[in-house]
Amino acid sequence: MSEDLALANGQTRMEVAYGAGDGDDDAQAVVAQRASLGVVFEQVYRPWNGTLGPRWVRNYAIFRHHVYGLFSSKGHRYYNPFVRLTILVILLSSLTPIAMIFLSSTLPGDASDWLTRMWGINRYNLWGQVLGYYPRNLCMWPLLTALVVGGMISDDRKNGTSAIYFSRPVTRTDYTIMKFLSAAFVLTFVIVFSYVLYYSTSIVFRGEGWAFLIDTLPMFLGGLIAGLLLVFTYTSIGMALSSISQSRFFAAVAFLAIIFGTKLTALLVELVFQTSIIYILSPYDALAHIGQWLVGIPPNYEHSLAFSIVSVLVYNAASIAVLVNRVSSLEVTRE
Amino acid sequence: MDKQGRGLSETVWTRLDRKAGAITELTVRQLRHRMSTWVVLGVGTLLILMLLAFYVDAVRDGFEPIDNDGDSEDWDGDGYPLGQERKYGTDDWDPMQYPGSGYYVRDGEVHWSDQNRTHSGNQTWIDATGIFSPIWIDEDFQYNRWDDVDFSDLDDCTQNGEFGVDWWISWGDACQQSNGDIALMSVNFRGEGTLRVLEEYYSEWGHFTDQYYVEPEPASNYIDEDDIDWDGNILSSSQGFDDDGDCLRVDWIELDFWFEEDDSNRNGIPCDVVWIIGSDGETIIDIRADENVDEDPDDEKLSGESIHRVFIIAVGKIAFIMILSIFLPLFLALGLVRDETENGTLHYLLSKPIHRGEFIVYRILGYLLIAGSFVLLMSFLMGIFTSLLGPGDSIIRFRDILIWLAIGLTTVLALTAYGAVFNTLGLVSPKYGVYIALIIGVWEFMMAVLTLIGGGSTTIQYASSLSISHWSLQLVDSLVLIIWPDTLTMHLMAEAFNLDTGLDVIWSPPAHTLETGNPYVSAIISVVILSLITTLMIFLAQSVFKRREIM
Amino acid sequence: MTSKSTPTVVIDHCSKWYGNVIGINDVSLAIDGGVTGILGPNGAGKSTLFKLLMGRLKPSGGSVRLFGIDPWESTSPYRRVGYVSETEKLYDWMTGHDFVSTLARLHGMTREEASARAEHVLEFVGLSDVQHKEIGKYSKGMRQRIKIAHALVHDPDLIILDEPLHGCDPIARTSIMSVIRDLGAQGKTVLVSSHILDEIERITEQIVILHNGRLLALGNLHAIRDLLDKHPHRILIKTEKPRELASSFIIEDPVYGVRFSGEGALEILTNDLSAAHSILPRVIVNSGVKINSIENPDDNLESLLKYLVGGDN
Repeated sequence: MSEDLALANGQTRMEVAYGAGDGDDDAQAVVAQRASLGVVFEQVYRPWNGTLGPRWVRNYAIFRHHVYGLFSSKGHRYYNPFVRLTILVILLSSLTPIAMIFLSSTLPGDASDWLTRMWGINRYNLWGQVLGYYPRNLCMWPLLTALVVGGMISDDRKNGTSAIYFSRPVTRTDYTIMKFLSAAFVLTFVIVFSYVLYYSTSIVFRGEGWAFLIDTLPMFLGGLIAGLLLVFTYTSIGMALSSISQSRFFAAVAFLAIIFGTKLTALLVELVFQTSIIYILSPYDALAHIGQWLVGIPPNYEHSLAFSIVSVLVYNAASIAVLVNRVSSLEVTRE
Repeated sequence: MDKQGRGLSETVWTRLDRKAGAITELTVRQLRHRMSTWVVLGVGTLLILMLLAFYVDAVRDGFEPIDNDGDSEDWDGDGYPLGQERKYGTDDWDPMQYPGSGYYVRDGEVHWSDQNRTHSGNQTWIDATGIFSPIWIDEDFQYNRWDDVDFSDLDDCTQNGEFGVDWWISWGDACQQSNGDIALMSVNFRGEGTLRVLEEYYSEWGHFTDQYYVEPEPASNYIDEDDIDWDGNILSSSQGFDDDGDCLRVDWIELDFWFEEDDSNRNGIPCDVVWIIGSDGETIIDIRADENVDEDPDDEKLSGESIHRVFIIAVGKIAFIMILSIFLPLFLALGLVRDETENGTLHYLLSKPIHRGEFIVYRILGYLLIAGSFVLLMSFLMGIFTSLLGPGDSIIRFRDILIWLAIGLTTVLALTAYGAVFNTLGLVSPKYGVYIALIIGVWEFMMAVLTLIGGGSTTIQYASSLSISHWSLQLVDSLVLIIWPDTLTMHLMAEAFNLDTGLDVIWSPPAHTLETGNPYVSAIISVVILSLITTLMIFLAQSVFKRREIM
Repeated sequence: MTSKSTPTVVIDHCSKWYGNVIGINDVSLAIDGGVTGILGPNGAGKSTLFKLLMGRLKPSGGSVRLFGIDPWESTSPYRRVGYVSETEKLYDWMTGHDFVSTLARLHGMTREEASARAEHVLEFVGLSDVQHKEIGKYSKGMRQRIKIAHALVHDPDLIILDEPLHGCDPIARTSIMSVIRDLGAQGKTVLVSSHILDEIERITEQIVILHNGRLLALGNLHAIRDLLDKHPHRILIKTEKPRELASSFIIEDPVYGVRFSGEGALEILTNDLSAAHSILPRVIVNSGVKINSIENPDDNLESLLKYLVGGDN
């Protein structure tokens, strides 16, 4: 019987359990072999006497599954090579200021000054590294989020693989939180990591001292918080869309549509009707507004900061509500 | 009757037509049964309704007449608007100076190197620096708003020695010495006495003209007071009249700080506007106005119309072309054939006597029926509202309906092109197609933004022409010019007379006219390019699909 | 049926490789008229063969002709072909009638024609009472029948059914089988694939056996079966008293041996299966032993294939 057990790989087990295959394939199930005449089948439940790993170990396994997949698909979540390539390109291009800073530390005189003015650490550059609209927030972050978050839950719905999670000692809450965290981690890796790297390397390359550090640390922290807020908000919107979609593509396009659509609409209204209030509908602009306050640069928006804060809160609350609702009603079969 | 017993009316064409109908109908029904279609169309409708709500709100408020040259403002709060103050040569930053307040006339001065350094008399002293032995001093006098020496309560000079040799006071300050003389450092005042100017300093004196009362003009006199004067005479290139006189300045009191060239267009005629007519003898291709001529035209007549057009063009470009025509196809067109292949339902359709190439075309047709009719409906809705509410005397502005039709059709063209591109991507590469489609979506969006903001720059125009959105926006620009030929004039006027209507931001003359300036040329080029992209994409999809083995 | 000089289906030295994997290997067939069962285990190449016939795949070698036309190059044969694919997916949101009539319109029928034809074929496959229900609510048997209905809607001369009995319960099976037999009786060319010998046997006598992409046997099922019958065969009898029964059997002529293959089980070995079956009732009744079950473990595709490929049983 043990050979049969070995033969029964994950896929066939799923098919036997949920009838996803047509049953006439080479699927093998342990129980069917032991059946004798007149008995439909004999199912033996063997009590498992091992010790269950602590909850965080199980949860970490989910997290690891999603994050490691970025580097190696063997045994981890499959990321399309194209997605990996895009993430790499986005990461590299968000690191371009570092190259410029490095260049400025090697060049003498005027050229160095100019490079420092353009790419060195100041409030505007710190804000721009995470929240600047063109090109980072226009094409990079939304695309990154769309690619990473799009399939997080919709893939499970489509393939029925959520059953694999829910047939294990994993609660739906843990499942959701770990999926959320792993998506947020990947985004953090690109968005916040490049920001931190930018700040620290430019200090190293420029040979700045304590005074500079003390001067710039508050704005650095402000930018850091803004970046984390951006990651959190984008992830929750993306996860909510992923949880209501049948395909990762729909979630991805819907995310882009929300980010670009609200931004453009607000721009249109501002251009024609001279009011900036519609910007509160745009998650990007609400985040940028908060970021401007956190980093300490004058806002581009006429409306009060409170509106933007409320907007970000509402976006997050609504997204998480949708996410929780959808996951708790997620069926364990292929939908 | 043929051998299968069908009538003569059964030609190849009617049967083709029926197959087309069946697949198109199937596609439409399929899309209709998808929740996402309704969500997407619903969001699109919400967007349009929100824009309409803003528009209606703006119309209800009415178009405020705009003071384009800003001379209706009363900056110093003396009750006289800037325009009136300019006429009388007074300063609108200084409440002490206003029309009729009298103005200062210089009588004499002491330069830093002059030998004679004293002057006596009953004068207005300006920049007085030195020792003044007063007979009387006008304690209420204030030359300008920054004077803050209070002669009724002067400080005593406490330092020992001689002023200007042993000790100094700060600029604009004064103090009284024990002998009653006043030490001054660049102070303006009025009084009778003798001023001994310090070595190497400058002072001057003069008198004020008589004060008289001038009736303050209402600010509205300076709004829309300099309308565009153009008699339509194309033979005379020098046009325009400076209605409010702020360029000609005949009988105006000139001040040094109020000086501008009156022939900035350098045609030898002061205070005129040069209207340059194109080679066709009708179209205005450039306007060069002298400063302050025709600079505050009637907004009701001009800005109202411009703002109305800006709304239509902006909504057409941003909401229709950039949002709807990029995202509708992404949602609806990518899976047209791909989903069928993935589900295996393609087998039912392909086991019928229908060519695979035809099949693709009918699928796109079905998608267009949904997306296209939605877009046309939305543009019709916008057309109805704007044509009823827009400025003008007629009840319905038919040109508005036309322009919305043009925007709707352009969007349909863009929808077709994008639909063909995305469908082909999904078909050619089932694995990577969706990701490429996402990236193309972002690319198109970026190029659209570039096209929009880089209207005037040819470099940007050519760089961004590698996108569908660029040509769609070009087509809108061209069609606007065809339907409203005077948009170009308005655009030029907005630039020439500094009108803040936004028309020069949101609309610019089409760039790809093969240097003819003719909008028909650029419209035709745009349509041809968009159709070419569509045809090429469909052709590519067909040739790939025809040779594709379907498992 | 129109008169024709070429057979309906001609497959000439046709091969199909998927990379290194062989789907069909040098198969030559000509089929015309009546029901033909295509028999073979999973992966034998049945579906590949059908997809080649339907122009879904391009032959790697050799040629395929439907009514004398290459289906990969032209769609015109499909006017006379009905194809029931193995795909399970259907447009679940459509009603059965909608589904059939929409596909009928792809044959160039008018809306009215299509609707009338759809009603007709739905009647024929026995779905007229549920034709206005959504397909999503259909049972598996109904879904198989609606697939057959769409293939029949244009009254084709050639009908290709890929595993039409797959996953149906016995009742659905019986009704689908009778539909197929009826089609054969109407003089149409019908190709049915299955991996269950029993099923095919109940539909037709003319079979083609595919194995590992090769054409293993073709012809009348009885002839093949007779060959098989002359081969050593087993009959498995489950009983409380196998030894008593064994003694009664061993003296009979067609039986050349018995074997006790487990507790309460008796295997009777014979060289003539039909003869053995004809004596079976008499021997059992005479012995008076209570029998739990009688099985023919060798009467299936697997043993048939084993025999045809030349392995022993």
